Amino acid sequence: MHMWQATVQFCLLASAALPAAAASAWGFTDATVAVQPKGAGVNSGFKESLSVSKPLSKPVALAGADTLRVTLTTQEGSSAKRPHQAFLLLKDSHTGLDISYPFTVKENGKSRVELTQKDLPIQFLSLPEPIDARVVIGSSGSSEAYDSSIFPLSIERNPDVPVPTVDVERYGKLPEIHHIFKDAATSPPIVITLAFVALVGAALPLLAGLWLLLGANVNHLSTAFKSAPLPHAIFVGSLVAFEGIFFLYYTSWNLFQILPAAAAVGAVAFVSGSRALGEVQGRRLAGLR
Amino acid sequence: MRWYLALLVSAFAAAVNALSSSGSRLLVVLDDTTDKSAYSILWSDLEGRGYDLSFESPKSDKLSLFEHGERAYDHLLILPPKSKGLGPNLTPKNILDFMNQDGNIILALSGKASTSSAISSLLLEVDIHLSNDRSAVVIDHFNYDTISAAEKHDVLLLERPAPLRPDVKAFFDGEGVLALPHVAPQTLGSNSQLISPILRAPATAYAYNPKEEMPSPDDIEATGSQLNVVSAVQALNSARFVVLGSVEALEDQWFSGSVKAPNGKKVPTVNREFAKQLTGWAFKETGILKVGKIEHHLATDGEVAAEDMNPKIYRVKNETVFNIEISEYSYDKWVPFEVPAEDELQLEFTMLSPFHRLALKPTVRTETSAVYSTQFTTPDQHGIFSFRVDYKRPFLTNIEEKHEVTVRHFAHDEYPRSWAITGGWVWIAGLWSVIGGFLAFVVVWLYSAPVADKVKKTQ
Repeated sequence: MHMWQATVQFCLLASAALPAAAASAWGFTDATVAVQPKGAGVNSGFKESLSVSKPLSKPVALAGADTLRVTLTTQEGSSAKRPHQAFLLLKDSHTGLDISYPFTVKENGKSRVELTQKDLPIQFLSLPEPIDARVVIGSSGSSEAYDSSIFPLSIERNPDVPVPTVDVERYGKLPEIHHIFKDAATSPPIVITLAFVALVGAALPLLAGLWLLLGANVNHLSTAFKSAPLPHAIFVGSLVAFEGIFFLYYTSWNLFQILPAAAAVGAVAFVSGSRALGEVQGRRLAGLR
Repeated sequence: MRWYLALLVSAFAAAVNALSSSGSRLLVVLDDTTDKSAYSILWSDLEGRGYDLSFESPKSDKLSLFEHGERAYDHLLILPPKSKGLGPNLTPKNILDFMNQDGNIILALSGKASTSSAISSLLLEVDIHLSNDRSAVVIDHFNYDTISAAEKHDVLLLERPAPLRPDVKAFFDGEGVLALPHVAPQTLGSNSQLISPILRAPATAYAYNPKEEMPSPDDIEATGSQLNVVSAVQALNSARFVVLGSVEALEDQWFSGSVKAPNGKKVPTVNREFAKQLTGWAFKETGILKVGKIEHHLATDGEVAAEDMNPKIYRVKNETVFNIEISEYSYDKWVPFEVPAEDELQLEFTMLSPFHRLALKPTVRTETSAVYSTQFTTPDQHGIFSFRVDYKRPFLTNIEEKHEVTVRHFAHDEYPRSWAITGGWVWIAGLWSVIGGFLAFVVVWLYSAPVADKVKKTQ
């Protein structure tokens, strides 16, 4: 513990006493970025020189099979030197994706890195905005490391070729599902229904009219009721009652309620009907029908 | 008798003190040669939170994770051994068996010496990968401690991590700077849903073997945020496994030390708070979900009677209400569970596949729980359905609830009556006109006098 504190104190002292040593910083010079189309000769494509302080404002386009090449000479202070870390760092600020490509650095600081779309992770291929391309140079010791944006890189893809996607499963919320119900049964417009109801309803008066035209009448009603009043009243009444039972079955009753009622009314109709129809037969035999 | 009573009382007191939701027996595996006192604050913090610490050397014969086939400890903290491996009692299989029996593990690594192949193969089992030569250290020339690592830049200074995703709850966030000396980096397999990074290296960081003079481009396997400093695995049984890249971060020296970033101010470290968050999460003091009451019933305006609660059978197109009560354990108490802002607790109403998947919204909050509910119409499909809540999220224990109900079709007397269907009126009118016609015919047949004679007479 003492040892450690002593080290801390020493380091603090050292950093206070030697501000000049800490002031030297990493950087680069003679930097160029070039994009070489596939099959074309060297220096045939886009080429631009880079500076430490000012990044390019226009995005560098990297299409299909092109090769992006960045060359530079790393410097500590103003002397060319080989650092521990010399990376071309691609960073997307929206998604937070980052990936680094190490420069191949020679002893004299001359560095180069080459990059094609094949080298990029597929997540980078579908980004809508240009990626921030940075150069990171750092090394152990007290010299300040360099990390700055040098140009925006836009990945250009043939729109006909689909962007490969990564399908990884992660725990998270899933899309909502709402059951799609079958369409409810619908009725035709009420006007049409009412028109057809009127047509059907008109059939009854039409029938009555036809019958009257053919001479249908109820002239024997008084004769019949004079000779057998009760059977006729009960027989016709039981027929009406039958229809009433059917109406109740349609609206509220169940089968067990209508069966006894129908049996009772049926028996009444049978007995009264045989009398009433006997009277009708009597009229026929008398030549009245 | 008295000693027996005293033992009972002390055992009871220990049980009351235990803050973890899954037991207090913690085994610390560390080498005899490792200086136990270097971590004294960590031990006292853990004991203060109710853990019973046992220390064993990996070489010890007594060391066994199981006793009579049951777990002998609830939690395991493995410090990196100086020797080659973890010995015959801590094989990867034993450790995975321990996890399968709901044991929780923190495995600390160190970049100071190369990691043993036994640990590497254990990590491979959970799809966490170490560097090829197992002796890489994370270096960052931008976020290092200028006091202790002015030359080598291998003491990382990192902010405590923000939530992993906007829809994931943060268990490790907070103010302050963490000092992480000699981090052994991990990379995570991308196919597993069970792994999540807790703390990632900054974008400018890289890993290399410090024994080599200069890192050559071919040696650099992973860079930036692909390097994990702390990673976590939560198995399907919710057992937790944390890999901490830097064991030294737990030392007393870094719990109370101060650090200074390049161009920064001298600040105290928050390693102690982070160690509490990390051990608390790993040993199930945080991020534990418990399901309380689950209720479903037909939607009604007033109170639901007890006999109408959780019916076995529903009809198609019923308006149904589903409620689930969830609590979250936070260090020493149950609190109402709050779903993170961009996340949703979802209810599925499934028969083979979900017919509905709906967000459950918080409705009632009690002191220890929150009730989430939703209302929906049962689909127009009869069959055996189930209410399912399958809530699996990083850093939270899994919820898997399944409650089966029958959805029946309309009964014969539940359809609308024919007169209520306007399209049926034509047929109803036809029926009654036939009945009317029949009655009229009967009357005419019974009482009509013949007219044909009259016609004949007039002729």
